[in-house]
Amino acid sequence: MYFVSFILKNLTRRPVRTVLTVLGLAVTVGSMIAFLAISHNVNASAEQAVQGFDLQVMQSGKSSGLNSDFSEALVERARKLPGVAQVAEGIADMADMRRSSGAVDSVLILGWKVDNFGFENMKILDGRKFGPDERHVVLLGSMLAQNLNRKVGDQLVLGGDTDHPYEVIGIYDSPLIFERGAAVVPFKDAQEITGRKGRVTGFSIRVQKTSADNPDEVETVRKEVEALRDPEDPTVRLTAQSPDTFVKSLQQLKLLRAVAWLVSVIALAIGIISMLNTMAMSVLERTQEIGILRAVGWPPMRVILMVLGEAVLLSLAAAAGGTAIAAVGLQGLTLAPKVNGFIEPHIHWSVVLLGMGITVMIGLLGGAYPAYRASRLLPTEAIRHD
Amino acid sequence: MIDETDPNGDLLFADRLYKTYPDGDVHAINGVSLRLREGEYVAITGPSGCGKSTLLNVLGALDRPDKGEVYFRGEALSRRRDLDHFRARQIGFVFQSFFLLPALTARENVQIPMFEGESMPARERAKKADALLELVGMSKRADHRPNKLSVGERQRVALARALANNPSLLLADEPTGNLDSENADKVLDLLTSLQKTHRLALLVVTHSDEVAERADRVVRMKDGKVVADSGSDLLPTPDPAATG
Repeated sequence: MYFVSFILKNLTRRPVRTVLTVLGLAVTVGSMIAFLAISHNVNASAEQAVQGFDLQVMQSGKSSGLNSDFSEALVERARKLPGVAQVAEGIADMADMRRSSGAVDSVLILGWKVDNFGFENMKILDGRKFGPDERHVVLLGSMLAQNLNRKVGDQLVLGGDTDHPYEVIGIYDSPLIFERGAAVVPFKDAQEITGRKGRVTGFSIRVQKTSADNPDEVETVRKEVEALRDPEDPTVRLTAQSPDTFVKSLQQLKLLRAVAWLVSVIALAIGIISMLNTMAMSVLERTQEIGILRAVGWPPMRVILMVLGEAVLLSLAAAAGGTAIAAVGLQGLTLAPKVNGFIEPHIHWSVVLLGMGITVMIGLLGGAYPAYRASRLLPTEAIRHD
Repeated sequence: MIDETDPNGDLLFADRLYKTYPDGDVHAINGVSLRLREGEYVAITGPSGCGKSTLLNVLGALDRPDKGEVYFRGEALSRRRDLDHFRARQIGFVFQSFFLLPALTARENVQIPMFEGESMPARERAKKADALLELVGMSKRADHRPNKLSVGERQRVALARALANNPSLLLADEPTGNLDSENADKVLDLLTSLQKTHRLALLVVTHSDEVAERADRVVRMKDGKVVADSGSDLLPTPDPAATG
């Protein structure tokens, strides 16, 4: 018999309690893994979204691109700055989209010009892109098209203007979850829909670089862009950030990360208390047996290893169960139209490892006190325990 | 009289042991001295509460005396820091209530002390357990859990467990106390046979006259003291300072 076999036998002697403990812990751990996975995927998607350019510019002091707002004139001035190779301005905001049933959904609208960098990552699945002068046309992300059950040639109402419906001219796929659940309209249309005539929510810059890796050139442009002022509204300040810094500064992502970690901390606390309760009960029930083990020569450390081993095995089972619950839960969540443009169902291996690590920590912390108590039992008293 | 200057030469020498439990001022053992030779079978008898089991626990390093010393092959146990290791390697315990682990089979129960014995692979442990179970006539019941064994069989498995690490001393606390006369005889036969074939020192606490009759020596206790020892010149000499 291996020591680990002995530990397993201890767990299987009370199968109902073991299963319930694992199940309870798995649900807790599953919610934690699901939140960590969502946070990880959103973060990864956001990081991917800002690749392919050097600076992302938005209004200073705003939490995200969605509530940034400044004059288009600033974009034109940035375009003329020395060292700037290309500029792609855009509108990103939530807008109402009316279904044929009359129901209204709030969807992400991206207003782009034809040369926007975003088109470079897109793959048109059906139909075509819009031309430079086209208006009242829309490209639907594959996920949004599926949710709305729309195809090329259909019409839909954006922003509440029922007199001027938009024609779906293309369905696209994108590596970015946000874009798959979004609609891309011509820049001017987006300004109308969101009530931002003559204004943008942000723009991206590609810097002219003499070498592939020269941060000084990007830094020079960044300072010049941030120094730009709108004469009509001098209070508006711009912030230009590298893609990585931009993603880290997004308030929504910060909030999501904070929520994911908060859920993890709560899961950790609940898990530790649950494990502590289970293992304390288990040790109490086996006081006499532990006395025997001590009597036949087991040192306190082996008793500690036995109890902690049981706790860790429970944790590993809970981690496996939790990962399965999280995977099923995320798949289920993506079936809900309200969120499936924002949540990717897969769980990255690093999240699984992190979840397992936290769960093992739950086992070790929750089992520590019962293990200590078990190791301190005096054999003679423990054997007499009834 | 006790030769206090020469604790060596015996397997076990208990020198004026005192033990008082914290929940009372009764001396569970009160100045007990005892000598046990290699391969000797000693029975400790006496009325309930006279301190027999407490003495057994102290001699088996399960408990520490308040005063006095236990020498094992001349070495004072109070100076050893590894009493767990000492118990695992030198002492085998047999209890009245068997105390087998219910989740384990007979074969697995016998292996429990081996985790602290001589280092050996799992397969070797199982082999050794099988050999010990054969020795006690339980090889056909090796895969059974305790709840599927009769009380006599359980005690035989407990005996095999006690022999797991080839101890020098077997301590048995009322080993036949929970057995009917037939099973008691079988276990007793087994105990005495093993004691002889393995040259084990055997110290048995018992109320049973039959158990005591088979012993080389009978030590009788009363009120925490040794009042008679049939085969020894050792007589208790309580420390006046300790007894007040």
